[in-house]
Amino acid sequence: MSAEVETVADKQATAGALLRVSSQKISRLMDLVGELSLSVTETVNSPDLDHTGDRTLFEAAAHRLNMIVREVQDAATELRLVPVDEVFKRLKRMIREMERQTGKRITLEVIGADTAIDKMVADRLYDPLLHVLRNSADHGLEQTDERVAAGKSEKGVITLSAAQVGSEVQIVVGDDGRGLNREKILSIARKRGLYGPDEEPEPSKLWKVIFEPGFSTAEKVSNLSGRGVGMDVLNTTMRDLRGRIAVESTEGEGTQVSLHIPVSLAFLDCILLRQGTHLFAVPVEDIFEIVKPGIESCMSISAGSRAEMLRLRERHVPVCRLEQFYGDALPDLTPLSDTVAIVLKAGTRLIAVPVDEVLDRQQVVMKPLSGVLAKVRASWGCALLGTGEVALVLDSERLAAGENA
Amino acid sequence: MTKDQAVPAEVENLLHDDDNIDNMYLTFAIGEETYGVPIAVVTEIVGMQRIMTVPDVPRYIKGVINLRGKVIPLMDVRLRFSLDERAYDDRTVIIVLELAGSPVGLIVDRVSEVLEIAEDHIDSARGVGGGGESQSLVEGLGRVGENVAIILNTGMLVSDAELSMPEAVSA
Repeated sequence: MSAEVETVADKQATAGALLRVSSQKISRLMDLVGELSLSVTETVNSPDLDHTGDRTLFEAAAHRLNMIVREVQDAATELRLVPVDEVFKRLKRMIREMERQTGKRITLEVIGADTAIDKMVADRLYDPLLHVLRNSADHGLEQTDERVAAGKSEKGVITLSAAQVGSEVQIVVGDDGRGLNREKILSIARKRGLYGPDEEPEPSKLWKVIFEPGFSTAEKVSNLSGRGVGMDVLNTTMRDLRGRIAVESTEGEGTQVSLHIPVSLAFLDCILLRQGTHLFAVPVEDIFEIVKPGIESCMSISAGSRAEMLRLRERHVPVCRLEQFYGDALPDLTPLSDTVAIVLKAGTRLIAVPVDEVLDRQQVVMKPLSGVLAKVRASWGCALLGTGEVALVLDSERLAAGENA
Repeated sequence: MTKDQAVPAEVENLLHDDDNIDNMYLTFAIGEETYGVPIAVVTEIVGMQRIMTVPDVPRYIKGVINLRGKVIPLMDVRLRFSLDERAYDDRTVIIVLELAGSPVGLIVDRVSEVLEIAEDHIDSARGVGGGGESQSLVEGLGRVGENVAIILNTGMLVSDAELSMPEAVSA
């Protein structure tokens, strides 16, 4: 491209020269590329095309066109990718401030700073990450004397790492501090009615309550954290970015908070499903396995209001019927063995979602649900398909969490 | 892409009339009644097209259409008014509105015309059908010669509240 427009005047502009382009222009380009891709699929699959004659040349041209569109799509997506270091650098500067305010000594280790991420995503990551970082500094790390007594290094270590896994970027904020206190968190969670007095939630579930708005175990509110406000920012941002939060913690050894975020918000690699009259799309990275259940692998538990389970080799996976979840169940459910079961990863758990048909794998353009559609549960948004159809993109985690999620 | 065969040319022209639009209403028919919505909220009128169903929506939301890359939920106005459903025919049209920043398409029996109704020709009908002032789907009754156009409170159209259509109006 640049070779064609190069003149004598801008000879200095070498191959590595950079252009400043407003993000609106790029967004506009992305939108157009999305529509282009949809139109091409629509044209190529048009029912008006003559299907009787020899279509070899047409097929070849259509194939080439699709390849080009896919490349344009990738190139356009890449335009907006920036190294995550942009955000990390700003965070690094905050560490001194945190040291001063907490009186703790902190080493920040950064891993994978060159991981690429959508600029739109990067711009929104600073606040939530800063919040997680502050939490680590304030609650996670112990005071120096406490650390020495526990046989740890004087300086607390916070690790900020990023890595691309499939089409997701995982950003982990880890510390080598005291770890989360199960007793304390559980007692507050119970006080706030999140768990009954006898409930013993599994750790990965319990840890998530620290992200509840207003949740704080800090006895005194400090300048850094403890007001429970920042978590709201974290939750809202993660929801908007279609991200997920996971927490791991070992008492005495530290806590890791990981944020899983899609690399690009523009296109989503999905498997398309049909259940009854509805079309659904599931992001490819959420799919654990697709199975055709045999009669021997299906069971229903009468004691658990006929809950269905799917046996998947050595484990049992709870079945989530979309028609039941969305309350448009027919009187007779299709026997599990007549369906195709999509086994989805929902955080650390698996759920099996039986559908009538698995249709296709497609790069889809996602649109948020707004207006009268805003109340649709367990969905990230609407996917526009190449055929012009619209499918609902399922959020497996909220689907697994059940009715009230 | 879309066949707008059901849209009379004069309506189309009127939509692009850039006179003062404050007193302009797009009227449409539901059964024997004439309803109107302020032209300011109308974005376009398209013919009936393939509807894709979505789960977890009220019964009167029939599904969505993909209108040039925009996902538009469709509301069957008959079902919203708790009337009987009626099979769609070649006069059935979709009136696309932009309400509170989100699009919604109204499925109506047929689109009629754009009328200018002066404010003093509109009798307030707020509170018709019970439920208090803020709960009514009817904003007012516009007198147009011998006829009456029932002006809808578009905000209520997309609100969650369950409504029963006022008897006095639908009689």
